[in-house]
Amino acid sequence: MRSLRREPALLLALLAVIALVLAFIVYPQVQVVVAPGPGGYVSFLEGGTWTGPLVHSLEVMALSTTTAVLLGFVYAYAMVYSEMRWKPFFRLIGILPLLSPPFVVAAAYVLLFGPRGIITYGVFGQTPIIFGLLGIWGVQTIAFFPFAYQLIADALSRSDARMEQAARNLGAGPWRVFRTVTLPLSRPGLGAAILTTAIYIVEDFGNPQLVGGQFTVLPTQAYNLISGFGEFTSAAAVSTLLLLIALALYVAKIRLDGGRSFVTISGRASSMPRPPVPAALSWACFAGCLLLAGLILMIYGTLLVSAITVLFPINLTPTARHFTFVATGSNADALRNTLVFSGVAALVSAILALFAGWIVQRGDWPGKGILDFLFILPAAIPGIFFGIGYLTAFNQPWLDWVDRGWLIILSMVFWNIPVGYQASVAGLRQIDRSIDEAATSLGASRLRGFWDVIRPMLAGSLRVGLVTTFVRAVTTLSVVIFLFTPATTVATIRIYQLVNDLNWGGATAFTVADITMAILALVVFAALARGRLALGMARG
Amino acid sequence: MTPEIDRRTFLKLTGATAVIAACGGAGTTTASPSFSPGASGGVPATPKPTGRISIYSALNDSTNNELFGAFQKATGIGFDMLPLAAAGELQTRITAEKNSPKADIFVGGSSEFHDPLGKQGLLEAYKSPNAKDLKAEFKEANGLWTGWYTGIFGFISNNDRLAKELGGKKPATWDDLLDPAWKGKLILPDPIKTGGGYIFMATQIFRFNRDEAKAMDFMKKLHANIAQYIPTSPGALSLIDQGQFVGCPNWSHDILTEKSKGNPVELNVPSDTGFEVGAVSIVKGAKNFPAAQAFVDWVLTKEAGALNVKLSNRGSTISDVAPAPGAPSLTQVKLVNYDRQWATDNKDRILKLWQQTVGL
Repeated sequence: MRSLRREPALLLALLAVIALVLAFIVYPQVQVVVAPGPGGYVSFLEGGTWTGPLVHSLEVMALSTTTAVLLGFVYAYAMVYSEMRWKPFFRLIGILPLLSPPFVVAAAYVLLFGPRGIITYGVFGQTPIIFGLLGIWGVQTIAFFPFAYQLIADALSRSDARMEQAARNLGAGPWRVFRTVTLPLSRPGLGAAILTTAIYIVEDFGNPQLVGGQFTVLPTQAYNLISGFGEFTSAAAVSTLLLLIALALYVAKIRLDGGRSFVTISGRASSMPRPPVPAALSWACFAGCLLLAGLILMIYGTLLVSAITVLFPINLTPTARHFTFVATGSNADALRNTLVFSGVAALVSAILALFAGWIVQRGDWPGKGILDFLFILPAAIPGIFFGIGYLTAFNQPWLDWVDRGWLIILSMVFWNIPVGYQASVAGLRQIDRSIDEAATSLGASRLRGFWDVIRPMLAGSLRVGLVTTFVRAVTTLSVVIFLFTPATTVATIRIYQLVNDLNWGGATAFTVADITMAILALVVFAALARGRLALGMARG
Repeated sequence: MTPEIDRRTFLKLTGATAVIAACGGAGTTTASPSFSPGASGGVPATPKPTGRISIYSALNDSTNNELFGAFQKATGIGFDMLPLAAAGELQTRITAEKNSPKADIFVGGSSEFHDPLGKQGLLEAYKSPNAKDLKAEFKEANGLWTGWYTGIFGFISNNDRLAKELGGKKPATWDDLLDPAWKGKLILPDPIKTGGGYIFMATQIFRFNRDEAKAMDFMKKLHANIAQYIPTSPGALSLIDQGQFVGCPNWSHDILTEKSKGNPVELNVPSDTGFEVGAVSIVKGAKNFPAAQAFVDWVLTKEAGALNVKLSNRGSTISDVAPAPGAPSLTQVKLVNYDRQWATDNKDRILKLWQQTVGL
């Protein structure tokens, strides 16, 4: 409080952040929450159609979060600690699953692992039942481990090598150091990873829709109420249930990590290398990562083959016609819009997330817990309701002069802010406040201290925000579906159209073009930012 | 296209305007403020509609450009198209946009998606002169929406697997699907999640003369043979294309389209089946009402009907437009007496009954 009174600029910045949150997270979502009205909620709750999907959602959340976070942790450990080879390659693999536009990638799973799948039936002669809980679990583990990996790797790479060296010098073995030093110190990242991954999984719609079959979770129930019957009010009630789950998860996380300190970066610089891990461990990491990479590449390879053949898997004659199709008409505009919207959204979202993380984590004013929760909340809002909220709130006569592209960008900024925000907060928890104080006692304002001193130390967190927002914006369908106009169509909308037409050749070619464009953009960005900034964040 | 057509459209519109002017007191037909500002001078000189319209289209992507291009050629009216082959999303979008409507026309999608918009007062009533010969079941009585195409529920089967595993025997009636030989080989668009799945189930109720107990008994026995209920109708087709499963009740026109792409699948239409009526409607607050009326008139022409049949394999509500090659027509197949209003009004109850019956 005192610092706010002393520094009007800081107070203004805080008020600006609060205003943004109110305008672009709270206000649009309130439109959705109030839509069913009291009567709507009562009849929905009495109807009881939500109990099954609720139980299913919780089951899926528990299973998929566990495996995704475990996998993410192993991957992060391998990337940060081991001396395995091909790290740049694995860095790319670690973001590839984030680049999967809904429907298309999950469809590849069915092609490969379905009852008559190319692998399951073609190679092994098995007809597994992949539809249902098992299928969702498997697909979500692959789809969501990158979130956990990004957040955990950021935390691990910031942990102080000196503590580990000291433990080793005192005679502890590598396993013991890991268990008693590394693991506890990475807890902020781990907590953020579990929370974020769990919320994203419980909100996930695309994967359960395609491999869930009749196993209905809350997001698929909500979506199908709209899609199948145009029943918006019951769907909005389902969305509110999801918000309550997010609130419960958030409270649980706060209670779990309490008020402990995880500071590993104090005032003095550390240039000490990490203690080496046994060669066998590096090789094991390499083998494990290679296996995962193989699986991921197989899925994306299926898309590629489908994009360059006439009618996969029935007619494998090579053809360029799907790509020719992608290059025609308004399709190229859609790709360009995707690039522009996602790029702008990623920059704004990452910087805003970093700053918001700082202003909340370092804040000493009442009510900061509410702001903290509101920055995580968008993760729990199914994209379709985020989009509907924006449309209801901002499609007003007095706002008709605003170009719709801006609305799409804003929705991408705020829908994707939770990961960058979480990374920022987790990072700040590892940085000693004495560093902030050193800056201010040397005469800098707190804002200046943040920008000149703290921001560079949070480069990893900034990268996490940039990369995840960008790839999620590139691949989001559900948010945009209610906001796009003829002039602001994006690639995922076109892909969705083609999927609905069962034009798999066109849809996969579009997906390949979209993903390639996104990767190129990340590479160019990395080059511009001098070094391997954007392509993942683990410093090897 | 030709001056002749232009004149015809012009005459139709003059007539239409007269009709509207005549029943102007009906409440629903109050003209919006933007309604033909040019016409304010003299009543008889309704100008030929010009400008552009904004079309929200739930039609297939492969239909949109060609169909609307033909409209532009025939009338000289330009269009901005918002394509989303998902009528429920478009319906929701139009509802959410009601403070500042962005659409003039909502075209495509079963009438079930247009009807609630009309009831919420979000549609503009318009009785096209071209709709006057349509059967009552193909149009909303006040002109809030008009049916211009039809879709018939049929059955898709994977040729290879049908021949090997079921001796090539396609179902002649829906009851044939209860044969234990189908166990684990059938899928169905989920009645809870898809309009198509629900129409299939309502069809069973009408087939048993609204004896719900009999219909549910059928659905229960069918359930024993069904491997999965699939969340979307096209998604189910895709699984049959790939041979992941053997057969599935689904939309005839989409099945034909899948077959024409070279997929090893076949369509047949079991007797006593159901159908949908694809609708067009004018959104309340349309910025270019005269041009929107011209669009409704145009999709109800024989030319537009025939073009849509060619592009989408669907049928036309106009009786003298021939069906697509290999496609069933409403007059050829044996239909149940499908009561759309009853099916809509009883939907929640029937779905709950079904869930209890099959234990899902």
